[in-house]
Amino acid sequence: MPIVEKSLVRVKRTEKLELDGIDVSGDWNTFLESRVQTDLDVGIVDWVRSQPQGDTIDRCWQCGTCTAGCCMHTDYGLEEFNPRYFIYLAQIGYEEELRRYAQTIWRCVSCNKCVERCPKGVKVEEVVHTIGTYLEASGRAPESPADRFDRAYTENLLDRGILDEAGLFRTYERLEGRKTPVRELLRMGTSLLLSGRLHTGPLAHRTKGWRRMRPVLKGLLDEDLRQRRESAQATRPVGRREP
Amino acid sequence: MIDRSQSRGPSDPVPAYYPGCSMDGLGKAYEVSCQLVLDRLGLAMDRIVDYNCCGATEVKNLSEEVSLTLPARNLSMARSMGRHEVIAACNGCVYSLTRANDADETTRSRINSHLEKGGAPAYDGEANVQHVLEFIHNRAGVPRVRAAVRRPLAGLKVAPYYGCLYSRPKRYTGVGVTPGTDNPEHPFFLDELLEACGATVMRDYLAKTICCGGGHALSDLDVSVAFSASVMNEAKRAGADLVATICPLGQINIENNLDRIRQAYGEETLVPVAYFTQLMALALGASMREARLKDNFSRPDRFLRERGFH
Repeated sequence: MPIVEKSLVRVKRTEKLELDGIDVSGDWNTFLESRVQTDLDVGIVDWVRSQPQGDTIDRCWQCGTCTAGCCMHTDYGLEEFNPRYFIYLAQIGYEEELRRYAQTIWRCVSCNKCVERCPKGVKVEEVVHTIGTYLEASGRAPESPADRFDRAYTENLLDRGILDEAGLFRTYERLEGRKTPVRELLRMGTSLLLSGRLHTGPLAHRTKGWRRMRPVLKGLLDEDLRQRRESAQATRPVGRREP
Repeated sequence: MIDRSQSRGPSDPVPAYYPGCSMDGLGKAYEVSCQLVLDRLGLAMDRIVDYNCCGATEVKNLSEEVSLTLPARNLSMARSMGRHEVIAACNGCVYSLTRANDADETTRSRINSHLEKGGAPAYDGEANVQHVLEFIHNRAGVPRVRAAVRRPLAGLKVAPYYGCLYSRPKRYTGVGVTPGTDNPEHPFFLDELLEACGATVMRDYLAKTICCGGGHALSDLDVSVAFSASVMNEAKRAGADLVATICPLGQINIENNLDRIRQAYGEETLVPVAYFTQLMALALGASMREARLKDNFSRPDRFLRERGFH
């Protein structure tokens, strides 16, 4: 059986412990403290399953293939980035523990190795993003840098049909309150401009006939965002008891 | 709907070409060198003129509908040009376009109603999307490339970097399950093409299919610098002089991080990075200037000049 709550597994140091006359003092590395779990919220998995990109969550049988190959977990070495565990927490509805990972889940770089390898056909990357979305859309976690970027990206793209990379860079810097030194910008910008690679502001490319497409897509975007915000906020646990 | 476990679908003498946002802008060198290579191999592609951005992996995190409508519009444009084959040069585009192909009938009819409202033709789901690397490998083939080489890349040790979304996930791209496609875990199309050009290819390059962190190039700098550095570091370890890329997002992300990689890991980590088509164009007789090798911030032109290329 998988270990439900990693935070319960900790090294336990006993200064003086005797069992049947044998000294067993020292470090106990897998010590599970007993507890009664009362606040599991099945609303989470229901919500994830109801989303277009979360519908494969039920197929997960917790083998951990996704995590074994995950580039954030292995290559980058962020051990707490564990897609198998995120899915597990969502499946059992352990919101409190899930919230502890709110600042980790968004760091998935969408390399899709997990989706490629999953033996059960779980679209892990999309499911994990949906779990992260749940935390944000329901107001249980603040908007992450990646989501701010996705928002800036989408708005920029929908404007003209073609992305204005330099414009996106400026918008995102503003959103994050970041400022790249002007000298650095000039150095790169000049080289890009001179070689005809910078199409921004008045020089930005646009798609012909986008004027008709833009309002349709903006409407769809607003509608999707509204729907998921409202449905996620409505998933307050039923009959939840505080421990 | 095409059964993609049997074949990729019908092919065209001149397939449609989807440029995406990079090829017209930051990835200009890629587009120009691609054209050089195709010309010299006697291949041609027909550009989708009124294309729009595909939404890559970003838009889908906000809205499923928008993330499917954006690529579907491009595919429908290609179909209205009478084409079945759509060639994209960016891994992100291949992912996004093939993802739209995976939509079921109900979703497709919903997407088509969005397209209709926006004044675009409906999409029938019949487009067959490929990466330009697969197109060159399958259509020209290794022997034809070998025969067309004018200036072999002899003595150049190249690390073939495929990146993430070229072949992944098979559910969308069909790579590894459809006949005539690459191997998703151990890709070799680029290895074969560069070897045909006379280069020494580091076939055991460990970072072949790792992520470059480009998706979070701005929002998670630590990660994008670490991954970009490991692409170079592994190349060094394999003994390569150059990294060949097949994705404008990867190329731009890695080169954009050069200063930060230098600061964090030292000057000795840096390796020049070039689009595979730039290297192929050189081998097929184009000059460095024509292949726009000076465009790359990692300046492979300086290195290549030392090796006698011009």
